[in-house]
Amino acid sequence: MPEPILQVRNLTVHFYTYAGIVKAIERVSFDVYRGETFALVGETGCGKSVTSRALTQLIESPGRIVEGEVLYHKEDGTVVDLLKLNEEQIREIRGNEIAYIFQDPHASLDPLYTVGYQIGEAMEVHGKVESIKEGIKKAVDILRSVLIPDPENRVKNYPHELSGGMKQRVVIGIGIANNPKILIADEPTTALDVTVQAQILDLINQLKEKYKATVILITHNLGVVAETADRVAVMYAGKIVEIGSVEQIFKNPLHPYTKGLLKAVPNPMTKIERLEAIPGTVPNLITPPSGCRFHPRCPFATEVCKRKVPELKEMEDGHFVACHLY
Amino acid sequence: MQEEYKKSILDKLADKIVYGLGSFISLFKKGWKEKNKSKMEEWRLMLYALNRSPPALIGLFLVILFILVGIFGPRLAHWRYNFFPMLYTKSYDKIILAPPGSKFVLDYYNNTVITFPLGSDHYGRDLLSLILSGARTSFVISIIVISLGVPLGILLGLIAGYYGGKVDELIMRITDMFLAFPALILAIALSAVLPERIQNFISTHEAVQKFVLWLFALDVREAGNLGRLLAVILAMIIVWWPAYARITRGSTLTEKEKLYIEAARAIGLPARTIMFKHILPNIIGPILVYITLDFGGVILMEAGLSFLGLGATPPIADWGRIVYDGAQYFPKAWWLVFYPGLVVMLVALGWNLLGDGLRDILDPKTRRSIEFKVKKSKKEGEANA
Repeated sequence: MPEPILQVRNLTVHFYTYAGIVKAIERVSFDVYRGETFALVGETGCGKSVTSRALTQLIESPGRIVEGEVLYHKEDGTVVDLLKLNEEQIREIRGNEIAYIFQDPHASLDPLYTVGYQIGEAMEVHGKVESIKEGIKKAVDILRSVLIPDPENRVKNYPHELSGGMKQRVVIGIGIANNPKILIADEPTTALDVTVQAQILDLINQLKEKYKATVILITHNLGVVAETADRVAVMYAGKIVEIGSVEQIFKNPLHPYTKGLLKAVPNPMTKIERLEAIPGTVPNLITPPSGCRFHPRCPFATEVCKRKVPELKEMEDGHFVACHLY
Repeated sequence: MQEEYKKSILDKLADKIVYGLGSFISLFKKGWKEKNKSKMEEWRLMLYALNRSPPALIGLFLVILFILVGIFGPRLAHWRYNFFPMLYTKSYDKIILAPPGSKFVLDYYNNTVITFPLGSDHYGRDLLSLILSGARTSFVISIIVISLGVPLGILLGLIAGYYGGKVDELIMRITDMFLAFPALILAIALSAVLPERIQNFISTHEAVQKFVLWLFALDVREAGNLGRLLAVILAMIIVWWPAYARITRGSTLTEKEKLYIEAARAIGLPARTIMFKHILPNIIGPILVYITLDFGGVILMEAGLSFLGLGATPPIADWGRIVYDGAQYFPKAWWLVFYPGLVVMLVALGWNLLGDGLRDILDPKTRRSIEFKVKKSKKEGEANA
C-alpha cells in the first residue's frame, strides 16, 4: 500500500470579482503518494494552477479558499492541515517542504538580483544558511546539480543574461535549494522550446530520484504526462473528472472528456486524416452548467447529467471517474 | 561591429573615486576591498553609465551646484540678507530697484562701494546675495519635505497595494480625502492654523530654536518667524505624501501580479522582505523620477505660499518670495523675476535630468552592456599589443 504524503479533500476556491463569483475549483479531492510523480492535466482555465497554489494558501485576494482540507504527512509522521496554518507557519512550509517551479522562467526571477543571490535568499529565509552571502557560495553547488555549466561564474549573472533553459534550471535550483519533500512544477516546460523541454523534464526526474522528493506536475501536455508521470488526475472546469495511473488513463480512459483529450493528441503510431476536437469551449465558471459540468459538450449526455453532479467512483483498483455513464 | 569603448577622463576619474573609496573603507574594515570586489565593479559601471549620458552629467552638475550653494550660500553671499544698504546712503531713492551692474557709495558705511551684479530688490538689497542666501531656504525645505513626505507615501502605498482588500480601502480612502482638496488650498489652511503652536513649542525649547536657526542660517532676530516657516514645511509634508501613496500603490499592484513576486511568496519570504527587497526596488525607477521632479515642485509651492503671506517672511531670503514680490515691478525691474526664476528653473531642470539619468544607471541591463564593451575593448587592446 503506497503511503500518502498529501491528501486533498473537498478543496474549493472562489474568486470574488465584480462580474460575480468565479467558482474556480469545486470540491476537488485527490491523494498524492510519497515518491511518485503526480500529474494534474486539463485545458487552460480548468483550475490546475489554482489547485496547486491553494495547497499552500498562495491564493490572493479576490480569491479565497472557501472550504477543504490539505493534509500534509510530514517526514516524522505528524499530519497537518496546511489550510489551517497561520501565515507564519505556512511560510515555514513554503519553499522549505513544498517548493514551486513556475511556468515562465523569464518572469519568475527578480530581474534586479543575481541568480546566486536569489538562491541564497531562498536558503537564508529557512535558516539553512547563516547569511545570504554564505547562501551565494552554496548556490554554486546547487547550480552544478541542476547541470548549469561554469556555475562559479553563473552565480554572478543577472537573469537577463541567461537563456530560457538556463533560467528554468535556476528556478528549479531555487526550488530544490532547501531539499523539499514536494516539488510542484506548474507547466515547467511550456515557455521553453522543444529541444530544451526534454532536458528540463529529465532534470526534474533526476532530482526527484536524488532528493527522494514527490513531484506534482501540472501540464496540459499529454506527451509530458505519458513520459514522466506515475498517476494522473484529469481536471475539467474546476472539477476532477478522472484519476488513475498513467497506464489506466492512456489505455482505458473512461470519462468522455479524457477520451476526447486523448483523441485530440496526434499519435505517431496510427495514421489518421484529422485530429478530433472536443466541440464547444470551457464553460464560464461564474455560472457553471448544472449537474455534470461537461454535459453541454458531452456526446453521451443524458437527462441525469443535467440534474445531478456525478461523484468520483472507483471503477478498478485506483482508477476513479466522475461520470453517470458508469 | 560593436562600438569600441574608450575610457574618457571621467571614466578614469570614476575608477579613481571607486578604488579610492574602497581603500578608504578598508582603512576601517580590514579586507573590505578584497571581499567587495564585485560591488565596487558595479559602482564603477554605474559611474561609467553616468559618464555616457551628457544630460545626466549636466543634471548632476546642476544638482551638486545647488547642494553646494545650499550649504555654503549664506557664507558666499557678500551681504547678509538683513543688510539694507538704503539706510547707509544719501541716494536711498535710487538704490531701490537698481538695475544690474549699478554702483553706489554707502556714505554712512565707511564710504564702501556696493555693486549690484544682478540688480537690487525693492528694499535696495543686493539680489545676488539674496539668491545665494535663499538657496539655503529652498534647499533645506525641499530636503525636509521630500525626505519625510515621500517615504511616508511610499510606505503607505506599498502596504495598501501589497495587502489589498480592507487595508487598501482604508489607506486609500484617507489618501483620497487628502487628494480631494487642492494641495495648495490644504497647505494654506494648514499653514494658517499651525504656526502658533509651533512657535510656542520653539520658544520654549531653546535648543530646537538654535538648531532651526542654524539650519536656515538665520539671525536670532528671525526667531519669531520660525513658527511660520516650519508650519509651511509641515503643511507641505502633509499634502505631499498622498501623491506618492497613489503612485506607489499603482505600481505595486502591477508589480505584485508578476510571477517573480508569486515565486518569492512561494519560497516563503515574509511580506516585508517581498515589499522592500523585491517590489520596491523594481518600482523605484518611476518614483525616483517623480521625486526629482518634485524638488522643483516643492520650491515652487513654497514660493507660492510665501506669496500669500505664509511661510518665509521678509527679510528672510527666499527665491519664491523674491519672484512674487518682484512681479509687481515687472517688466520695469525684470531682473527681480528673471534671475530667481532662472535659478528655480535650473534647479528643477537639474533634478529632472539627474532623475532621468538615474533610471538608466540603476538598470542592470545598461551596466552589463557597458561591461561587455569595456571587456571587449580591453581584449582587443591586448591583442593589438
